[in-house]
Amino acid sequence: MLKINDLVVAYEVAPVLHSVSLEVQAGKIVTLLGANGAGKSTTLKAISGLIKPLSGSIEFCGEVISNKRPDEIVKMGLAHVPEGRLVFPGLTVTENLKIGAYTRKASRSEVKSDMQKAFDLFPRLAERCNQLAGTMSGGEQQMLSIARAMMSNPKLLMLDEPSLGLAPVIIDSIMDKIREINEAGTTVLLIEQNAELALSISHYAYVLSVGEVVLSGDSESIAEDKAVLEAYLGGESEGRTD
Amino acid sequence: MVKLFKWLKKYALLIVMLLLLAAPSVTSQYEFYVVQRGVQNAIHVLGLLILIGYSGMLSLGSAALLATGAYTYGILLVKVGLNPWVGAALAVALTTFIGTGLALPAFRLAGPFLVVTTVGFGEIVRILILNMEPITGGAYGLAGFAKLLPSTRWVYYLMVAALFLIAIAVKRIGESRLGLALKSLREDEVAAEVMGVDVRRAKMVSFALSAMLAGLSGVFLANLTGYLSPDSFTAAESASYLLMVVMGGMQSVTGAIVSSIVITSLPEVLRFLSSSRLLVYSLVLLVYLRLNWVRTGKGSLAGLMKTLGFPLGTGRAKDRS
Ligand SMILES: Nc1ncnc2c1ncn2[C@@H]1O[C@H](COP(=O)(O)OP(=O)(O)OP(=O)(O)O)[C@@H](O)[C@H]1O
Ligand SMILES: [Mg+2]
Repeated sequence: MLKINDLVVAYEVAPVLHSVSLEVQAGKIVTLLGANGAGKSTTLKAISGLIKPLSGSIEFCGEVISNKRPDEIVKMGLAHVPEGRLVFPGLTVTENLKIGAYTRKASRSEVKSDMQKAFDLFPRLAERCNQLAGTMSGGEQQMLSIARAMMSNPKLLMLDEPSLGLAPVIIDSIMDKIREINEAGTTVLLIEQNAELALSISHYAYVLSVGEVVLSGDSESIAEDKAVLEAYLGGESEGRTD
Repeated sequence: MVKLFKWLKKYALLIVMLLLLAAPSVTSQYEFYVVQRGVQNAIHVLGLLILIGYSGMLSLGSAALLATGAYTYGILLVKVGLNPWVGAALAVALTTFIGTGLALPAFRLAGPFLVVTTVGFGEIVRILILNMEPITGGAYGLAGFAKLLPSTRWVYYLMVAALFLIAIAVKRIGESRLGLALKSLREDEVAAEVMGVDVRRAKMVSFALSAMLAGLSGVFLANLTGYLSPDSFTAAESASYLLMVVMGGMQSVTGAIVSSIVITSLPEVLRFLSSSRLLVYSLVLLVYLRLNWVRTGKGSLAGLMKTLGFPLGTGRAKDRS
């Protein structure tokens, strides 16, 4: 579904991603692991068109998207939940969800039924539909940002550290929801700091280190290779599993 | 009591419009002139409501767009000899075009940096008007152009009708898909982009709409005064338009109209105080703000501070780190 070949990305001059190649197969949950600053978020930003790569190609559903604008990419069915859950703080939950459906030429009733689906997935949002997003708790905001991305009816959902700053119980429930979303037919590309957790719900994993893919394989086999993993993640996974 | 309040809120726009229609019959000639100016300002301020209130882009160059509309109308009539209606249409078109161009710096700048750019634009236009004397009349001003309709009163009714239609349109925009896109821009540009909002196009539309209304307001200004001078288009004027949007609550169409008319007439109402007039004027505004009638939070004074970029003034429109 998503195929990245030899991707090179730089912010100012020095490349942050040197040569990243990866593939996400339809229907799977694929996780992208790596220490702080490895370039995980940068990879997602390049995929969703927020930054233009220097070279390399990104293909989504057989079409090259590396030269497309973000709004065109969203329209093709690729949703990005950015790091730090960027909800619209001054808009209500309902308004936030409506913007999620922005690129679709969907009718009012379609949007409404999709909003109902989002509320079914996260009942907590339904209770707070008229609350300003900025006044919600961190966990609720994360739910909102995932629900908002789902409003675009994506084929591929990319999540950038959905567990950031959340309590373990909430993280577990968010992970359950991600699995639920995947089982309902949406492919997922997940970035996580917590390697053990991410590997437990994903099918396939890539490990990124200093802008390069250093390890990839079935999540199960990667999970077994603890020593190698720790070497690349700088012991991060240890400290954050509990 | 609550019921009455709700009722008032629902029909506020209609009530204001009816009052405006009644105004010519119950006001003295001078008072009527002030009301006319209030209505004309309100058209301009509804444009700023879209730009500042909905989209969160602060402009202090709006007086220059007003001037563009007014002067284009005047020049086309006096120097070219066009029909007033054709002149008005061309004036609005040109202002919209120039105003849309102002969106270009907004692609890269936000907060105080965008404000400075718009102030600069305002000064450039004012100085151009001052110096292109053969065309604009320079400091002597420009006069001798016809009105759209023969009587002042009919121009006024035309203006009120325009205001009513614009008010409904601006309200609709606020609730539409476009309005949602503009508001998302105000809230978080990166998130808006990730949601698939074409940020550049949204900015251009916002600038274009507000410039269009500024141009129209300028045409009406020329109709009201019959005389144009660069002094009416200073940065201080732009600031008072900003005041009208802020006092109107930054989100409400009716609020913007009422505050435009009140702030336009306030200096006149206070005229009997003569020299202490400005002091009382400022005090009234301060008390109003202090009383928190202007909501804080969702697109309000606090929102304005954020728009200005005070808490995190990086000045870049997009900070994608
Ligand atoms: N806007 C930017 N300008 C310049 N450099 C940047 C920018 N954003 C990120 N970087 C640099 O790119 C590198 C990779 O950053 P990125 O955000 O992709 O890391 P990450 O893997 O997501 O890390 P984390 O787990 O901490 O979120 C870092 O060295 C970072 O300093
Ligand atoms: Mg990151």
